[in-house]
Amino acid sequence: MESSHGHDHAHDHPHAELGQAGRPGYYDMLETAVRELLVERKLIGADEIRRQIEVLDSRTPALGAKIVARAWVDPAFRARLIADGRATCEADFGVTFYDDTSLIVLENTDKVHNLIVCTLCSCYPRPILGLPPDWYKAKPYRARAVIEPRAVLAEFGTVIPDDVEIRVHDSTAMVRYMVLPRRPAGTESYSEDQLAALVTRDTMIGVVPITLDGGRVAR
Amino acid sequence: MTQTENLVKRLPNDIGGLSAEPVQQLDHVLEPWEKRCHALADVLDFHKIINTEEKRCGVEALGAEMVGKLTYYERWIVAFANILFRKGILAPSDVAHKMAEVEARWTNDTAGASTAQPRR
Repeated sequence: MESSHGHDHAHDHPHAELGQAGRPGYYDMLETAVRELLVERKLIGADEIRRQIEVLDSRTPALGAKIVARAWVDPAFRARLIADGRATCEADFGVTFYDDTSLIVLENTDKVHNLIVCTLCSCYPRPILGLPPDWYKAKPYRARAVIEPRAVLAEFGTVIPDDVEIRVHDSTAMVRYMVLPRRPAGTESYSEDQLAALVTRDTMIGVVPITLDGGRVAR
Repeated sequence: MTQTENLVKRLPNDIGGLSAEPVQQLDHVLEPWEKRCHALADVLDFHKIINTEEKRCGVEALGAEMVGKLTYYERWIVAFANILFRKGILAPSDVAHKMAEVEARWTNDTAGASTAQPRR
């Protein structure tokens, strides 16, 4: 997750972005009040929020992309990843699953296209992809992905052939999913790093396929 | 089906399978307080004070109007406060007093000589 600031020195000064005249908004003050009360009562540590923000900032789709690229080049790794996503990410990539969830990796094939959603809220494989985009958390995607996935995919410019089954996986508080997209043709000579550069967040949600430009050109 | 039957069968979060508008591919970089709120959620989960399912239920308990009108992290922080009240961990008056104190840091600080807590 990128910093929202235009500079990257350590921050200990108030920012203009806090609102008009530097005065924080109601919910900002509510968050500050709740957090400070919990710290005063020693229910949480003073440094824990800062440290968890560092953890959140360290998790981006680039981590998921490395895992996908490894699965493409190493069949034994792919088999272990599909058998136990969490344990394999922990063992091979040192990923800490800070939110105590299991991970199921869903392999796209020429017969099956997988799509992930959380109809009830916003569950997402955050330890390996970072935080979900706003549209993933909003009503249209949550409501419609499970009932008309082809129409939803079409809104992302993705058309899945009729003879390919679409499987939609509804996440829960305990079970999270990640799509293992198909490796595109023409990448036989690519290194693992070059392959990882093709893998974007949305390909691991399942709303778009991998493209050779890494999704940089609008389709 | 009557309108009230719908309310019974579908709590505010239970929207899977409903019709809805086209997906708007929107995203935003989190505000500093939103990121702190997310980190707070994780830390509350680590300490088994509020787990993910309690958080989701807490948001649902806000009712359809607040779920519809508050932003994502606004719903979270209000839900956390309510859950902490219900568990007897904090009292509403504690939060009210602390919020007044937080606000006073800014209203008493118009000259820019900040006495505010470091903010991330």
